[in-house]
Amino acid sequence: MTNLTSLNYLQPELILTATILLMIVVDLFYSAKKSRRIGLWALAGLVLAFIYITVSGFNIPTALFLGSISSDPFGIFFKVLILLATIMTILVSFSERDLSNQRVGEYYILLVIVTLGLFFMVSATDLIMVYLSIEVVSIMSFVLAGYLRGNRRSSEASLKYVIYGAFSSGIMLFGLSILFGLTGSTNFFDIRTGLMELQNGADLALMLSTVLIFAGLGYKISAVPFHYWTPDVYEGAPTSITAFLSVAPKAAGMALIIRFFNSILGGEGVFTELEWGTFSAIPWTQLLAVLAAVTMTVGNLIALRQTSVKRMLAYSSIAHAGYMMMALPVLSQQGVYGIMIYAVFYLLMNLGAFYVVMIIANATGQEDYDQFRGLGHKAPLLAILMTLFMFSLTGIPPTAGFIGKFYLFAAVIKAGPSFYWLAIIGALNSVISLYYYMYVVKTMFFTQEKTSITQIEFKGISILVIVLAIPTLIFGIYWTPIADIVHKSLAIFIR
Amino acid sequence: MYLEFGTVLAFTILGIILLMVALWLQKLLAPSNPSKLKQSTYECGEEPEGSAWVQFNIRFYIIALVFLIFDVEVVFLFPWAVVFRELGWLAMVEMGIFLVILLVGLAYVWRKGDLDWVKLNMKNARGRYRRFAEDPNSNKNF
Amino acid sequence: MIIASLFILFLPLLAFLIQIFWGRRLPRQGDFVAIAAVGGTLVIALGMLLAILLKFDPGFQREAAFEWVNLGAFQIKLGFLIDNITVIMLVVVALISTMSHIYSTRYMGGDPLYSRYFAYLGLFTFSMNGIVLANNLLSLYIFWELVGVSSYLLIGFWFQKDSAADAGKKAFLTNRVGDLGFFIGIMLFFTAMGSFNYQDIFNGVANGQLSGIMLTLAGLGLFCGAVGKSAQVPLHIWLPDAMEGPTPVSALIHAATMVAAGVYMLVRLFPIMTPDVLIIIAYVGGFTALFAATIAITQNDIKRVLAYSTLSQLGYMVMAVGTGAYTAGFFHLVTHAMFKASLFYGAGSVIYAMHNALHKLNDHETDAQDMRNMGGFKSRMPITYWTMVVATLAISGVPFLSGFISKDAILAGTLAFAGHSPQHFLVPFFGFTAAMITPFYMLRLIYLTFHNEPRQTHIYIKIVESPRAMTVPMIVLSSLTFFAFYTLPQFNPFAGNGWFTSLVTAQDSLVTGFAVVSAHEFAEQVHHNHTLAMILSVSLAGLGILFSWLFYLKRKLSADAWAQRSGFIYRWSFHKYYIDEIYDRFIYQPFLRLTDKVGYTDWDLYDQKFIDGFGRVSEKLARLSGTIDWEGLDKMIVNGIGRFFQRSGQSLRQAQTGRLQNYLLFALLAIIVILIIQVL
Repeated sequence: MTNLTSLNYLQPELILTATILLMIVVDLFYSAKKSRRIGLWALAGLVLAFIYITVSGFNIPTALFLGSISSDPFGIFFKVLILLATIMTILVSFSERDLSNQRVGEYYILLVIVTLGLFFMVSATDLIMVYLSIEVVSIMSFVLAGYLRGNRRSSEASLKYVIYGAFSSGIMLFGLSILFGLTGSTNFFDIRTGLMELQNGADLALMLSTVLIFAGLGYKISAVPFHYWTPDVYEGAPTSITAFLSVAPKAAGMALIIRFFNSILGGEGVFTELEWGTFSAIPWTQLLAVLAAVTMTVGNLIALRQTSVKRMLAYSSIAHAGYMMMALPVLSQQGVYGIMIYAVFYLLMNLGAFYVVMIIANATGQEDYDQFRGLGHKAPLLAILMTLFMFSLTGIPPTAGFIGKFYLFAAVIKAGPSFYWLAIIGALNSVISLYYYMYVVKTMFFTQEKTSITQIEFKGISILVIVLAIPTLIFGIYWTPIADIVHKSLAIFIR
Repeated sequence: MYLEFGTVLAFTILGIILLMVALWLQKLLAPSNPSKLKQSTYECGEEPEGSAWVQFNIRFYIIALVFLIFDVEVVFLFPWAVVFRELGWLAMVEMGIFLVILLVGLAYVWRKGDLDWVKLNMKNARGRYRRFAEDPNSNKNF
Repeated sequence: MIIASLFILFLPLLAFLIQIFWGRRLPRQGDFVAIAAVGGTLVIALGMLLAILLKFDPGFQREAAFEWVNLGAFQIKLGFLIDNITVIMLVVVALISTMSHIYSTRYMGGDPLYSRYFAYLGLFTFSMNGIVLANNLLSLYIFWELVGVSSYLLIGFWFQKDSAADAGKKAFLTNRVGDLGFFIGIMLFFTAMGSFNYQDIFNGVANGQLSGIMLTLAGLGLFCGAVGKSAQVPLHIWLPDAMEGPTPVSALIHAATMVAAGVYMLVRLFPIMTPDVLIIIAYVGGFTALFAATIAITQNDIKRVLAYSTLSQLGYMVMAVGTGAYTAGFFHLVTHAMFKASLFYGAGSVIYAMHNALHKLNDHETDAQDMRNMGGFKSRMPITYWTMVVATLAISGVPFLSGFISKDAILAGTLAFAGHSPQHFLVPFFGFTAAMITPFYMLRLIYLTFHNEPRQTHIYIKIVESPRAMTVPMIVLSSLTFFAFYTLPQFNPFAGNGWFTSLVTAQDSLVTGFAVVSAHEFAEQVHHNHTLAMILSVSLAGLGILFSWLFYLKRKLSADAWAQRSGFIYRWSFHKYYIDEIYDRFIYQPFLRLTDKVGYTDWDLYDQKFIDGFGRVSEKLARLSGTIDWEGLDKMIVNGIGRFFQRSGQSLRQAQTGRLQNYLLFALLAIIVILIIQVL
């Protein structure tokens, strides 16, 4: 589709762009105190884009801008997810204590720019676009992670993030350039055609390129061994941003990985059929399977030993990336289906857990387990909600997390005996995660009170936590609507 | 395939050898007669003042960044200017949007006070410098 | 209709949520929220009743379902089924629930957990409506368990009393036994039909997808659930103990609605019951009816008498289902709900008065529920007296009251049943004997409580009539025992074609492969036996009333002397046939010993050796991994490769912190390792 007609499919992105420009201009006229109101502008723009996407619904998969990005239900699904995460992030940012004593206009502007970048990330079908969108997201995230200017940890997080990000994108760029060199094209589908025409001799180069590209993508979803930035950045960044980073870029990264591997290495496989079919010349599925297993194991084991709940959640988010990756190498539509369902539920429960931590941090200034001691007596409702999120993250019925894991494991097991080991490792990991998630519950209910919280105000962020908890519970019992939506979203652009 | 990379390798080795040979040859042939003037750093004909490795005022970077953005803008404008008659109104509008976006950036920089070079008069400080003007102890590293 | 039923279902749930979270902070502890919610359901239910009366269509049916689980080959749909039975049942539940709420505002006034109490009532009403509205066995089962939970919470509401807490546990556990069978029955149907939906199951049975012995087993499984919930022998032991709960709860849950859920379920699923199952049902029900009645004669606790009377009446209903007269059983369910709730409210009113009197006397020893401490309350509590008398006459089957019509229909059904299978003559015998005993013990209750001279005069003089919030529900419900409410538009207590009997009509059995009597054929036989049943039941009831009058009012016959003379029969009845003791000796104690053994194996062998070992291993692994991550990174790479890196890139180092360098290096190494592995 040509550039001009493509714009018709790009309205949500255009809305966001206009919002960004408007916010920059409006911010110039607000004083530092009033700059919080920029958040309302951001909210308005995001909600508008959300309404636009949901009203216009799914469309037939189409290639836009001469094939550099695509518009398909798969992308739209993730865009909705990203929008939801951003809207929540903006809502909680209003009551984040760390942000309250500085100018925050840019904060909201940057968040919307990240959202825009994520939008392009989930719909990119061109190497250049992949790189550009990842960079947009990364650079904005660097600034957001370091937004607490007076805070040393925040600055340190930002710097580490910058360097690690630059390193990863450099490596990925190298991989992309090899791919371009092999096939002479930057378009996913041309690359696939080109790869199929290659002689067998190109295997080594292709494999090098795949590994390097995965290093870049793995950094985005914090897969082991590209996860080292995650705990430091998650700990240093403002909690609202940590929650956002643990959900939105991760979902977008998963989407990009699915699209990339499906379009380029998925061989002649078509998304709408049950099997992908693989480009069998290189063993990339085994690579993904091993990395998934390592990712969840390392994430869970290190999470066991944390003393800060926020850091524990950071490591557990690594483990969850591993669970999601687990369903990728089985190369079935069901696997993708499981990942997408899990992404929805993960958004709910992980944001919920982070926001509870944020309430505690707002009230006490710390995120240690100690602050959770005896929370069950001081603030029973909050403790119950946290317990719900912990149950869900572990995957205990009747919570949404259980349903999500169920679909993931079902996809893996259905793929046949050659993947049973992966399912077993996944199950063992769930058991390990049970320990540290339940430790939070135990700390809240069965230890002496130590928390210095006197009164949890029932407003703003608490309401948001409840809003997140309700679907976490309800989708554990009745998830058919989500399953239906995901099922309808299972259409990806293929040329 | 590996053979093609082999060619690349051969070229690389050959290139390095050629370079070395050239350098060696000029060292062999050229007369070596150094003087103080010859060895000094060239700086627009002026005598260099100290080392180039000094700390610059952060304002230089901001100005340089802003300059870069508006300099690159021109790169986009030239090709457009050559053919804008053929492209018609659409291109005109598109370029207008592009310029508006840049103007928003300019307004931002201006409002934030990054275009002011002299900020010694803190009473008139704007943007992020105002806080410092009101309370010099608040944030020294602006 | 469906929208209205959604409101009926979820209004009480909403009230429950509000009460449980904010109840204490609301004015009056939020009781008005609960009353408004159930009052709302009553209004809606009455509207629905009006709608079906205007339609006047026996085949009226509305169904709505949504997809709950869809795993491709495996789908579960949940939904509502609304027909005449549903609507009538909804009205009963809403009415009694509303009355209980109003009654409780005074009865429970001042209780420290007042708001919690109303929250539980809301939860119960929600779950009960869920049972009534279900169109499939799965949601029936879910709500079935939920009423069990709310019943447990309410029986043990005064959990500070050990007896109340134990009674709650007993009720819950006894129900589990029945529910096990229930679940097996449900699963048998599901595996055969692939659906939980009633209609699908009906169709499946009609098509013979499940037949013969398996269908009988499945039906027996379902009946097990009913035995537990409707407290039939041998699982009846929990209901008398459940009287430890607050009296309005007894009226609502343990007399009118929840215990009737088993009967309701049997009525719903009657067409798929095989004749074999029905015979078992008839015998269990009939036996319970007689058995409980004989115990009721000798009890002295006013609520326990009512509890055994409830057991007996539930037995009637179950027996009616077994004989095929299941519409009569449902009829009796409705009429019984009204007069039994009224009786419980009356008993509650007496207990309330006794409590207040004892409280004034500073007497904490005397049992406020023991009828031996009462007597002569008639003049002190006229409203309570008269409403209880009306309700007692209704339960006794005196003409012109509702109990007469419904009981008569059941007894005619038993006669018809015995008519076509004479070898089961015991079933009508159970029914008619119980019909004679019922008025005897009910009037005994009335005479002991309200008549004669007061036995404890110092208590008597402190007794006052209960406040209006308690008397109004009694008046409303006892007036609903008037026959015309059930026979309109016919104004004739003997008419067989009132709105109720016209709207609730029997369905033919769908079971294949058995000789079954068609509904029409059965109705003919019932019709033939109607007059005989009526004469017999009225005269037997008269006999019971007469004896009761002679024993307890006129004292022409001495109850004590007769008790002495009857010897072990009296003792057995007084001790409820030692059923609890038998269960204790032969089931609980052996089971406890078994538990000890299993516990030893589980804790000492499995837990300590295996599980803890597993824990230790994973802890070691965690420590190892941590070591690799921190020690390995910090020490090994900093000291080893880090030094190399230091030398080669002095300028790079300035831009990096020490740790980050290692991160990057490690990532790079990982890439190389992956590449090497891939190449190999």
